[in-house]
Amino acid sequence: MTFLMNTVQVLLLILLAPLLRGVIARLKARIQNRRGASVWRPYADLFKLFRKEDLVPASASFVFRLVPIVLFAATLVVAAFIPLLHSSALLGATGDFVLLVYLLALGRFFLMLGAMDGGSSFGGMGASREALVSTLAEAPFLLALMSVAIAARTGSMAGMVQWTLGQNFFQFSAVHALAAVALALVAIAETGRIPVDNPTTHLELTMIHEAMVLEYSGPSLALIEWASAIKLTVVMALLIALFVPWGMASSLSALAIAIAVLVLLLKMAVLVLALALLESSVAKLRMYLVPDFLGVASALAILAVVFTALMR
Amino acid sequence: MTEVAFSSFLVATLSVPVVTLISRRWTKARSLPPILLMGSLAVGIAVAAAGFYGGRKFVVDVSQVASFSFALSVDRLSAFFLLLICSVSLPVILFSSSYIPRHYSGARRHWLWVLLPLFLMSMVVVVTASTTFAFLFGWELMTLFSAGLILIDGDSEQRRHSIFIYLLMMHAGAAAVIGAFLLFLPQASNFAQMRASATLMSPALRTAVFLLAFIGFGTKAGIVPLHLWLPRAHPIAPSPVSALMSGVMLKTAVYGFVRFAFDFLGTGPSWWGYLVLSAGAVSGLLGVLYAISEHDLKRLLAYHSVENIGIIYLGLGAALVFTANHAPLWAALALAAALLHCLNHAIFKSLLFLGAGAISDAAHTLDLEELGGLQKRMPLTGVVFLIACCSIVGLPLFNGFVSEWLTFRSFLAASELTNLSAAIVLPLAAGVLGLIGGLAAACFAKVYGVAFLGRPRSREAEHANEVSLPMQAGMGALATACVVIGVFPGLVLHNLGKLTEELVPGAALPPAATSLSSILPWIALFVGVLVAGIAVFKQTKKLTATWACGLPGLNERMQYTSTAFSKPLRKVFSQVYKADRTVEVVPAGAPYFPVSISYRSVRTTSFEKSLYRPGVNAIVAAAYRLRRLQTGNIQIYLLYIFAALIALLVFMRWV
Amino acid sequence: MGLFETAAAKALASSGVFLFMTVLLIAAAKRISTCIALFSLQSLVLTAQIIAMSRMHHSGEGFVIAAMVLTVKVIAIPYVLYRIVEELKAPRDVSSSTSSSQSVFIAAGLILLSFFAVRPYAGVLGGDQSMLAASVALVLTGGFLMVSRKKALMQVVGLLVLDNGIFLAALTTTFGMPLIIEIGIVFDLLMGVFLMGLFVFRIRDTFDHLDVSKLRRLRG
Repeated sequence: MTFLMNTVQVLLLILLAPLLRGVIARLKARIQNRRGASVWRPYADLFKLFRKEDLVPASASFVFRLVPIVLFAATLVVAAFIPLLHSSALLGATGDFVLLVYLLALGRFFLMLGAMDGGSSFGGMGASREALVSTLAEAPFLLALMSVAIAARTGSMAGMVQWTLGQNFFQFSAVHALAAVALALVAIAETGRIPVDNPTTHLELTMIHEAMVLEYSGPSLALIEWASAIKLTVVMALLIALFVPWGMASSLSALAIAIAVLVLLLKMAVLVLALALLESSVAKLRMYLVPDFLGVASALAILAVVFTALMR
Repeated sequence: MTEVAFSSFLVATLSVPVVTLISRRWTKARSLPPILLMGSLAVGIAVAAAGFYGGRKFVVDVSQVASFSFALSVDRLSAFFLLLICSVSLPVILFSSSYIPRHYSGARRHWLWVLLPLFLMSMVVVVTASTTFAFLFGWELMTLFSAGLILIDGDSEQRRHSIFIYLLMMHAGAAAVIGAFLLFLPQASNFAQMRASATLMSPALRTAVFLLAFIGFGTKAGIVPLHLWLPRAHPIAPSPVSALMSGVMLKTAVYGFVRFAFDFLGTGPSWWGYLVLSAGAVSGLLGVLYAISEHDLKRLLAYHSVENIGIIYLGLGAALVFTANHAPLWAALALAAALLHCLNHAIFKSLLFLGAGAISDAAHTLDLEELGGLQKRMPLTGVVFLIACCSIVGLPLFNGFVSEWLTFRSFLAASELTNLSAAIVLPLAAGVLGLIGGLAAACFAKVYGVAFLGRPRSREAEHANEVSLPMQAGMGALATACVVIGVFPGLVLHNLGKLTEELVPGAALPPAATSLSSILPWIALFVGVLVAGIAVFKQTKKLTATWACGLPGLNERMQYTSTAFSKPLRKVFSQVYKADRTVEVVPAGAPYFPVSISYRSVRTTSFEKSLYRPGVNAIVAAAYRLRRLQTGNIQIYLLYIFAALIALLVFMRWV
Repeated sequence: MGLFETAAAKALASSGVFLFMTVLLIAAAKRISTCIALFSLQSLVLTAQIIAMSRMHHSGEGFVIAAMVLTVKVIAIPYVLYRIVEELKAPRDVSSSTSSSQSVFIAAGLILLSFFAVRPYAGVLGGDQSMLAASVALVLTGGFLMVSRKKALMQVVGLLVLDNGIFLAALTTTFGMPLIIEIGIVFDLLMGVFLMGLFVFRIRDTFDHLDVSKLRRLRG
């Protein structure tokens, strides 16, 4: 039964990811006084792309075709790490935070390679900028997760969530607050949202992720876009599971699960609203200001780790 | 039985130079030396596996026959490093069996096949020595033979200068190592005696031994700031020799340090651990930062060796801190992480250098700015190079990830210590390791992306061809090892646990360490099935030109170069680089359209400018002042002699 | 009211972390208006802390002080500073001698330093240890801002942050200074800000800039 539940969690993450993207885009449009496309548009986009032809540059090697699959597979495995509805996940018990961070890094590495294989300046440009952002985001990501792991005295994702569930909401510790803010900043960098990267631009001056996938088309592009949506959902689910997990089902009864689903949707809605507001009110940072942004995240994460020892 | 096998391994390896010299006139026997060497290495692997997996110890003691104390003994630690040496050298020799005839002929080829087995033998002596004499004998020979191997490639002025610096620094390191050994005399001249007498030494003496060992072995391993010889010596050697030097020789230094710090000295104060930890952190960061700014492939790989030695030292430092804080379980974890990274680095670094050899064989250049599109021209080389890149970056499903994961776990465990400074410093070291990993990923995305992907940037790269079968086989064997250890780490981890139990008293590998080996195969299976499934499913593809937003006239020079790729990172870390930049503009009549603009950016290593140069100048200045003693006047010299005699009389009388 | 009080006590114990975050963000900030907003936020946290403490100690004076801090430090002074920034029409960036990343790490170092400085008194303070550490961190950060930022307005903001720190220290150790002294300090600050507001325009009209580092030209 637990296995079934965990599989449902993973499927939920995968299948609802484009919807999340659609909702964010629609909210942003409304905030910016536009009508915006339907929230189901990303699904239509995916269907359309899957039916189209896959165009491959003649000079590209097999790596170009391998990249979308590896990226999708790595993101899928990460989706199996996160407890959503109850405090365990398909790979949550043995999957620990280091494996999670490095699996995301696997996807990103291959994406950079795919960009270079396109043979155009845009690919190199996207890969070089992504190298800068991901390099500087890796340390605060690890440190923030590590501070929660230290406080929870375990490295596995399920273990960390279970420990947080056992804490009192009003007793939020300094470690948690610092780690939450640090992780939120890193999440923006990892998923490529404003103020680090603009996911809807195609201007040479501003694109990072879009530059890397410029040469992809058809099903390959569909896989990449889907993987990117799953990554956004997974990161949001990670933030929710680590810092505000209360409301998760403690038993596997239908009522508890229903409540857990509702609470999850509510928390996701809050996060989505916050993200849409942030993206509509802040301008994208100039690329050489992103290190300062991630420097704040690093300082917060370092403080979180040190506090785990100081406030014992 | 195993003694016999071990002795036959030694004899067989030593016979290869002899065979080479004898058979140098017969063209039919050209392939005899490599085959013989590979055979003896296979025996070596079997012997080492018996020692590491079976736990058998054996001794070859010459001192019972002759009168000087030369003895080799193989315990688990030596067996591990012997396994490392033999199993990495076998594919390298397989590679060289085809590489060397293609690039070297006549006397140089014979010299290579004479010196290579001797070089391997000296490394074997170092890791299996059980007396001081044997160890130092092998240590010095290692340096000499490797210098000889580098010289084979040519002796221009610049190469001789680099070799000179190499020999100089190795000698300085050897002096420190000899000093560390000397402090054990006269009671102890073999390892068993040293182990016993170390417990009786005073803390000050133990600290002196530790520092000498740290500096001596650190010079050989290449930790910052003693690393200057690495980027000079490794790039100028023949590629198989670079692979052996970078992959295997550096590990003998780690072996020496582990012998001293864990086997002889046992526990020490925690500042030892912090010293090693900070050396590891600095080496790791600076190594990878310098590597990012390089575009000569071999120099880049040499700097990455500095970085990986830094990661190994991070694990060793953590283990020392744990033993000082009486946490043997976590010490075992950290030590196992460091030793596994030794093995992993040996495998993937040799693979990278062999790949560089293949590239230079096919495209005749190692400058990244001239390469490109090699994956399509050299399929297998590209795939194994990709595997090596993924391994060195530490991505999951490859072997580099396992050792980095173990290191992270040991840092995480440090939070349970009661000592506050340890509980703070070690988790922060995890952040440093994360930064190093991120930078390595950026660097190797650059290397593989610029060299193998995209379009060829020069005629040479356009006409590159796949290398010969033995070279492919050698590289393929190493790549297979990367993947196998990456997916099934339990193969090595289990016995590494037994090894750490011997080195750290009271230790056992905690079960958390093996949790990885239960999840990785499943992930590998899942990814493999998914990749295969989708690859089979979506076979239809149509070839077009690169789109690039519809820009016309796209050519290969418009791709990002290695320098361009690393520019954002170099700009962010500009404090480290301090490049001297010159921009020369040759003006024409119109103010905005000059005839030519040239841009030159030269980076001299900051350590050379700020640390070594002033030191060298001070020594030279002091030497000049000392020259006044050398007056050339014979009566002054007689005065010196009589003054020494008088001083001796006074000393004897009043002391 | 027991629940409210326990919640207040818990929130009080954890409120230090908000102040640490404002310290880091004020060090990272690149525009003067951001610094003023963060100062206002800091004072708001201080007000909440005063209210929570006066509930716990059942003191009426505390509410008066809270009201004062609210009106002056959260509303009045930031408003005045905002108006000055608007009227000046000068570039709104914080000219700093250290880059944003360096400032953030220096601020993190100052926070750690304040923690280690406060550790010997951990036994006496108990749960208030993080608040005292926060006060020391605020004092040090205020000083850091005054030293590293070149604009005259930022000197004032640094002084205000420093004053916040001293105020919090007094709050933690002795539950505030006597009422008269508190009122005096707050009005001193208000007067100071008004005077500075007047002088800033005079300085700008005389010298055409507000860069404190250029005062060096005045030496003989």
